Amino acid sequence: MAEDVDFENLVTRHYGPLYQFAFSLTRDEAEACDLTQQTFCIWATKGHQLRDITKVKTWLFTTLHREFLGSRRRQTRFPHVELEYAAAELPVVSPATINQLDSEQLLQALGQLDEIYRAAVMLFYLEDHSYNEIAEILGIPLGTVKSRLTRGLEKLHHLLTNIQTPPQS
Amino acid sequence: MNHDEAKQILLLYRPGTTDAEDPDTAAALSLAKADPELSRWLEAHCARQTALREKFRQLPVLAGLKEQIISEEAAKAKAASRREKIVGLSAVAAIIIALMTIGFLVLPHKPAAPEVNTTLAEYKSEMAGRALSYYGMDLTTNDAAQIQAYLAKNQAPSDYALPAALQKVAMTGCAIQSWQNSRASMICFNTGKLPQGGQHSDLWLFVVDRTTVKDSPLIASPQFDQVNGLTTVAWTQGNNLYLLGAKSDEGTLKKFL
Repeated sequence: MAEDVDFENLVTRHYGPLYQFAFSLTRDEAEACDLTQQTFCIWATKGHQLRDITKVKTWLFTTLHREFLGSRRRQTRFPHVELEYAAAELPVVSPATINQLDSEQLLQALGQLDEIYRAAVMLFYLEDHSYNEIAEILGIPLGTVKSRLTRGLEKLHHLLTNIQTPPQS
Repeated sequence: MNHDEAKQILLLYRPGTTDAEDPDTAAALSLAKADPELSRWLEAHCARQTALREKFRQLPVLAGLKEQIISEEAAKAKAASRREKIVGLSAVAAIIIALMTIGFLVLPHKPAAPEVNTTLAEYKSEMAGRALSYYGMDLTTNDAAQIQAYLAKNQAPSDYALPAALQKVAMTGCAIQSWQNSRASMICFNTGKLPQGGQHSDLWLFVVDRTTVKDSPLIASPQFDQVNGLTTVAWTQGNNLYLLGAKSDEGTLKKFL
């Protein structure tokens, strides 16, 4: 049961990825901080209602995303887009280039992603959320998750290829 | 599923996760095993995904956020606990006040005992004055039992115990004297030394609740005194304060104790 979850351990385990996700959504340090804190505050009052303890991580990310949407007063449903198998191939970014990226550059690239792709991409990389979990967190169908990821990754890789990285010594 | 479709599906593949459990992804991975070109592409793709995943996880987190979350939640829990205690105490206080109000309204009241300020000297002076002044007896009789019954019937002290010598003296009657919102029994005696046709009594015993006199507990042994021309002796026994008075000397009075 969720009542058995130690609050401090829960915060220790999840506050980092939640903050990173919040920051990717808001691109504002203070707002990301507030969203993360609000998420744990909601857990403290409503977390006991969660029956499946294995769903804690998904619950936290779902709550944070809902709070983000609420704070933006944008509850509009995003259109469902089917996976396009004919999408262009990803631009090739070498692992070496990626390794040379610093956090600022990655955040800069993320910031240029459309918001609807950014959330899915962050969840995809951040905590290894499954497609179903991402669908649950964002409140969208599985097919939409896949299409957003495909488009989002394509755009992200494209942005990363344009970033100038210092030459390797 | 052809080569391009498999590649499209594998774009979302992350090594070391549950992605391989997805049926489409599993099929695309099978195809990659049999397709050398797709296999090479997948290998490079997995290396990129792994590197990118590591970079995402290295994104900075605001320092002190964890401590802030934990401390603020602890403060909230403490405040909530304090509120619960206050509500609980308020409820208990309300119940007590309600019970006290009900008790005050419903239960019969016993008037508070008057504050005792009078001293033994004042009592003796008051009773000596009544013995020496003209008084009318409420009951005139020499029957000790009748006197005792009359006093009892009229809520005056009647549970007195007379000294053995005094029991031999003839009673003439009794009167009830008011004293400090209470009653004192006045039992009158005739020692036989009075002239015929004159006053009926020459010895008086007053009995009163000892709590109506402030310092009565201090006179457990007989205490003689001269009050307004009357020789008196006072003592306490049980709940009663006794005062015996006569127009005689102390030696004579001692004979009745």
